[in-house]
Amino acid sequence: MSEGARPVVLIVEDEPDVAETYNLWLADDYGIRIAHSGDEGLEELDGDVDIVLLDRMMPGLSGDEVLERIRDRDMECRVAMVTAVEPDFDILEMGFDAYLCKPIQSDQLQETVTNLLERSEYDDLLQEYYSLVEKSATLEATKSSGELADNDEYVRLRDRIGALREDLSETLDGIESDEDFIATLRGLSDVEEQ
Amino acid sequence: MSKSSDSETTYDLSGPLEFDALTSVRPGSNILVSGPAMTGKEELALSILADGSRQGQGAIVMTTGDPADQVIADYRERVDGLDEALFAVVDCRGDGDRSTDRSAEGSYVHHVSSPSDLTGIGIGITKSLERLANNGATSGRFALSSLSTMLTYTDKKTVFKFCHVLSSRFDSAGYLGLFTVDSGAHDEQTIQVIKQAFDGMIEIRERDGTREARVLGLAGKPTEWQEF
Repeated sequence: MSEGARPVVLIVEDEPDVAETYNLWLADDYGIRIAHSGDEGLEELDGDVDIVLLDRMMPGLSGDEVLERIRDRDMECRVAMVTAVEPDFDILEMGFDAYLCKPIQSDQLQETVTNLLERSEYDDLLQEYYSLVEKSATLEATKSSGELADNDEYVRLRDRIGALREDLSETLDGIESDEDFIATLRGLSDVEEQ
Repeated sequence: MSKSSDSETTYDLSGPLEFDALTSVRPGSNILVSGPAMTGKEELALSILADGSRQGQGAIVMTTGDPADQVIADYRERVDGLDEALFAVVDCRGDGDRSTDRSAEGSYVHHVSSPSDLTGIGIGITKSLERLANNGATSGRFALSSLSTMLTYTDKKTVFKFCHVLSSRFDSAGYLGLFTVDSGAHDEQTIQVIKQAFDGMIEIRERDGTREARVLGLAGKPTEWQEF
């Protein structure tokens, strides 16, 4: 997401009316791109896209195939699959971040997009949290507890770690939902495989 | 910050390990059980789990070492008349077995292809929590043995984040989590990092053939070392 810009949502949906409906619901808060096929969707996709709403059943490239190519390209965007049938959460194993069942309601769509943006925020916070914890651990391994108490850098570090821990527990409601939990863990493996 | 309300019943873990600091542990606490190899970390974690099972709580074991069947057989011996509906195993030994939802003689087993398959682990834990809740467990305990194996499959950054996310999930669920780590198998900095993903720690050491433990982080200052 570029500084100050609105998050960008890419809608990949072969039915123009449906795509337009999603557009109407989201256009007030997000930058919208619309693609009417999987191929078009991949053309529209670049580093500025934060969220992809991907219809699963489309002529030509299917949603699953588009997803696979998105993941192959190491794009950091979140992908919500739009499907006609309620899937099991095994579907999250395929690399989708969320799923929505047709017909989708406006508030449902808004909620999903907000939730996916919050997951990105959570990942960023967790990364920052880790790097501070690692710095802190390095100091702890080399200094005595007396030295640490007098070390300004260390004291500041501990304050920031405490604040970040609070932020994390408030983001995604402290990983209360199964979907957030599984998708967040999957995100950790993705990073690790690179 | 805990999301669990104060009115929830706390966990008494002092059965297997007599410490005041362990008599009233708040739901959602995640504890690292750390000590050198062969000092009974896993044994302690499973005893604490079994104590909960005897009180009708749920229990989930995530194993990176012993196969699920063995974990179940061992657990049955610990808990007389074990209610299998309230016991689940997430088996991630990495023997390539990818079958899921397999029930071995009543207990729920979820197989994960490898200790580095965090998505599979997430699904296994989610399904276990769901099943135990459906079977009436309003509280429960979780044991992971061991983080040391996970650290051989992935780096400490990933394991730290994994522990943090799991801790958050158990906090939301009001579960108690126990995670074992072999303190001698990793450098001090790694242990120092991993430790910070937890609310507290039970540290174990062996001196002159006697096993001792102490509790850190759960109730004020670290406790004294105590034989167990």
